Amino acid sequence: MLNYIIKRLTMMIPILFGISFIAFLLINLAPSDPAEVALRLNEIMPTPDAIESMRQELGLNKPFFERYFIWLYDVLHLDFGRSFIHRDRLVWDEMIRSLIPTLVLAMSSFAFTLIISLILGVLCAIFANSAFDHIVRIIIFLGTAMPSYWLGLLFIWLFANYLDLLPTNGYGSLQNLILPTLTLSFVYISTYIRFIRNNMLENMHNYSVFYARCRGLKEKTIIVKHVLVNSLHTTITALGMTIPQLIAGSFVVEYIFSWPGLGRLCIAAIMNRDYPVIQAYILIMAILFVVCNFIVDVIHQWLDPRLRDNGGAI
Amino acid sequence: MFFNFSHLKKILIVLIFSCCSFNSFAKDDITFANFRDIRDLNPHLYSGEMWAQNMLYESLVHYNEDGTFSPWLAESWTISNDGKTYTFKLRKDVTFSDGVKFDAHSAKLNWDAVLSNKVRHTWLEMVRLITEVKAVDDYTLQVNLSEPYYPFMIEIAVTRPMRFISPNSMIDGETKNGVKSYIGTGPYVLGDHKKDQYAVFNANPTYWGAKPILKKVTMKVIADNQSRLMALEKGEIDLIYGKNMVDADSFERFSAMDKFQTLMSKPVSSRIVLMNTTRSQLSDVNVRQAIEHIISKKDISEGIFNNSEAPADTLMATNIPYANLSLKPYVYDTKLAETLLDKAGWVKVKGQDYRQKDGKPFEITLYYDSNTASQKTIAQYMQDEFEQVGLKLNIHGEEEQGYRDRQKAGDFDMVFDISWGTPYDPQSFLSGMKLPVYGDYMAQQGLKEKPQIDANISKALISTDEKERQDLFRYVLETLHNEAVYIPLTYERNRAIAVKSLKGIEFAPSQFDIPFEKMHF
Repeated sequence: MLNYIIKRLTMMIPILFGISFIAFLLINLAPSDPAEVALRLNEIMPTPDAIESMRQELGLNKPFFERYFIWLYDVLHLDFGRSFIHRDRLVWDEMIRSLIPTLVLAMSSFAFTLIISLILGVLCAIFANSAFDHIVRIIIFLGTAMPSYWLGLLFIWLFANYLDLLPTNGYGSLQNLILPTLTLSFVYISTYIRFIRNNMLENMHNYSVFYARCRGLKEKTIIVKHVLVNSLHTTITALGMTIPQLIAGSFVVEYIFSWPGLGRLCIAAIMNRDYPVIQAYILIMAILFVVCNFIVDVIHQWLDPRLRDNGGAI
Repeated sequence: MFFNFSHLKKILIVLIFSCCSFNSFAKDDITFANFRDIRDLNPHLYSGEMWAQNMLYESLVHYNEDGTFSPWLAESWTISNDGKTYTFKLRKDVTFSDGVKFDAHSAKLNWDAVLSNKVRHTWLEMVRLITEVKAVDDYTLQVNLSEPYYPFMIEIAVTRPMRFISPNSMIDGETKNGVKSYIGTGPYVLGDHKKDQYAVFNANPTYWGAKPILKKVTMKVIADNQSRLMALEKGEIDLIYGKNMVDADSFERFSAMDKFQTLMSKPVSSRIVLMNTTRSQLSDVNVRQAIEHIISKKDISEGIFNNSEAPADTLMATNIPYANLSLKPYVYDTKLAETLLDKAGWVKVKGQDYRQKDGKPFEITLYYDSNTASQKTIAQYMQDEFEQVGLKLNIHGEEEQGYRDRQKAGDFDMVFDISWGTPYDPQSFLSGMKLPVYGDYMAQQGLKEKPQIDANISKALISTDEKERQDLFRYVLETLHNEAVYIPLTYERNRAIAVKSLKGIEFAPSQFDIPFEKMHF
C-alpha cells in the first residue's frame, strides 16, 4: 500500500508540471495583449508608450520560456502575482479569501448529496418499480435536465418570494446556505440516486445474496452488509470526484446567490481578462482534481483488496 | 386579582405611544444592490465604484446639468484674463472625517499626488497642462496652466481624480501606490465593508454641509440581474439604480406594479455606429446619407430596447452642452435612400441581388462586440434594412479585445460605439476624435474637413470666449452630421426601480453618481 502511495505521488509531479505549463500556455494563446488589458482595466489610455511600460512592468518583454519559469518559480512560492484589475491585491490572498465560502458550499452540498442519495437510492432499490420509485425517477429526470441557473431562480422564487421562508441571496448565515446547497446538489443527487439504485439492483441478483438468503440471514442484514456495501465501492469513486466538481462547478450558483466564492472571482476575472487570476484558478482546480483522484484511488485500494497488485498485503 | 385593570391601561398607553413613535420616525436607512464590490476607493485612481467615491470625496466645484458651476469646497473662484490662472477661495469650515482640517495645504498635497502620477491620467488633458499648484495662503489655492483650457473646471469637478482625501490616508504623501484609508470630506463615511458581499456608508457626523436624511446606506453585491430583481420584490433591497442594472422587460413589469416606482433619466450617452469614410464604398457622402435614411431609430428604441433607450436623431442629445443645434435629423425614408444610392452610381441591375457600381456589388461589413446581446440584435435588424434597398451588409461579432483592436487600426467598414457620456460629453468625447487610439479618428480620415475638425476641437478646448467655443463646436457637430459619419441609434438613460415609499430619487449631472443625499422615506 505504501509503495502504491509513493508510486502515485511521484507520478503526480510530471502531471502537475504539465498542467502548469498548459495553464500558462493557454493564457498566452489568448488574442488579447495582457499589457493592453491591464491598462484598460485601470482606465489608462493604451498609447504605445503606456503599453511598452506596462509590458516591462509585467515582464512581458522576456522570452516565453523565461517567463514561464519565472512564473513557475513564483507559483512554487505561492506567489501568483497581482490581479490586473486591483494592482494592490495579491492573487493568492484573493484565492484564499474566496476559497472558504466555496468550500463551505461544496461541503454542505456534498453532505446533502450523500445523505439524500443514499436514503432515496436504497429505498428506490428496495421498492423498485413501485409508485415511490416512479415519482423519484420523474424528479431525477427533471433534475438532470434542468440547468442550474434556471433551477436556482425557481428555488428563489418559490422559497424566498412566494413562501417567504428564506432570503433570496447573501452569505453568512445558515439560512443563506440552504438554497445554494439545494441548487448545487440537485443534479448530483439525481445522478447518485440512479447510480446507487442500479448498482444495488444489480448486486441483489448476485449469487452471494442468493446464498445469504439461503443461509437464512435477515433481509436487513443482507441489504446493508452484502448489497449496499458492495454497491458503495463504485459509488465512492464517483462521489470522490464530485468534490472537485462541486468546487469547480459552483460558479453559476455563486453568481445567482451572490455567494462570494471562487467561482464568482473566476467569472469576474474571465470577463475582465484578468489573466493572473485565471491562471491561478486553472492551476488550483487542476491540482484539486489530481489530489482528489489520488485520494479516491487510495481509499479504493484500501476498501477492495482485489485491486492491490501485491495480492492484498498492506 | 390576577389581572389588574390599571395594568391593562398602562400597557395600552405604552402600546399607543410606541405606535405613535414608530410612525413619527420614518425609516432612515436604505439598502440597494450593486452588481459588484466597491473595490479600491482611492479617489486618485480608477478601480473603485464612482458612486461610492462620490459619497466620500468632494470637489472644489459642482458641475451643474446646464454646464454651469456652483461652489462646493471652494466658496468662489476667479480665472485670469489669459485663462491660465485659476484662483480658488476655499471654505473655512471643512474637515476630513478623521478631524484633519481641509485647507489650501491639504488640497495642494492632494493635487500634487495626482500630478506625480501623470501617466495614469493622460486621458485628462488638464493634468498635462498644470504647471503649478500653489497654496497662496491657508484658504487660497492657485493653479497655473501652461495654456488656457476651458474644460479645466469640468475636469476638476468630475468624480476622479481631482477630489480630496485626508493627508493621513496617504502613504509618504503619495496615493499612486495605494492609500491607508478612505477618508474624505463628504456627507458619508465608509463603515463596515466585506469584500464581494456588502459595504455600509454612515452619515458623516461632522459634515460641514446639509446633513443627509438617510443615516445609513447599505450596498449589497448582487451580481445577477434576476436575483437583484427578486431581492427587490421580496423587500430585501429598496433600490436598483444604473444604466445596465435591469433589462427593459423587467423595467416595464415593475413600472406596472403598485409597490414600486420606476424612473428614467434624460439621455446620458449615445449609442452609435461609425462609418469608415476611407472605405471605397462608404467614401461617398450620398451612400452614407442613404444608409442614415434606412435605419429607423424608433423601431430600434421600441423593438429592441422596449423604450428604455430613446431614439437618437443626432450624435449628441440636445440636453448635452453645446449640442442643442437644431440639426435636421435623417428621417426613415427608404425611397429617398434609393434615390441617393442611384445618384451615387449604385444601381439595381436585373438578375443581380445587390446594387452594382462598375460591375461590383455593394457589400460592406458591420463589426460588433459579441459579448453584447443588443449589438447583435441591432446588427441583424440593420442587415434586414440594407437588404430591402439592395445593399449587402455582413455582420461579424468578435471578442471585445479583437473588436477594440479593429477600431484602433481602422480595419472596419462600420462598427458600434458608445459616446463617453455625461459629464464627459461633448468635450472629452470630441477631444478623443483627435487621437489615433480611437475608431473615430480612423473613421473620419476620409473627410476633407478632418484637419479643420481637429483644429476646431483643439481651439474650442483652449478658447476663453464662450461664444467662439459655441461656434467651434457647432462647426464640428454640424460637419459630422452633414457628412453622415455617425449613425446615432439611441440615447442610453440611467434607470431606477425603487420601493414606492422612497422619495427624492434624482439623476445627477454625472451618469455615474447616485445622489443618496437627496433621498428620504
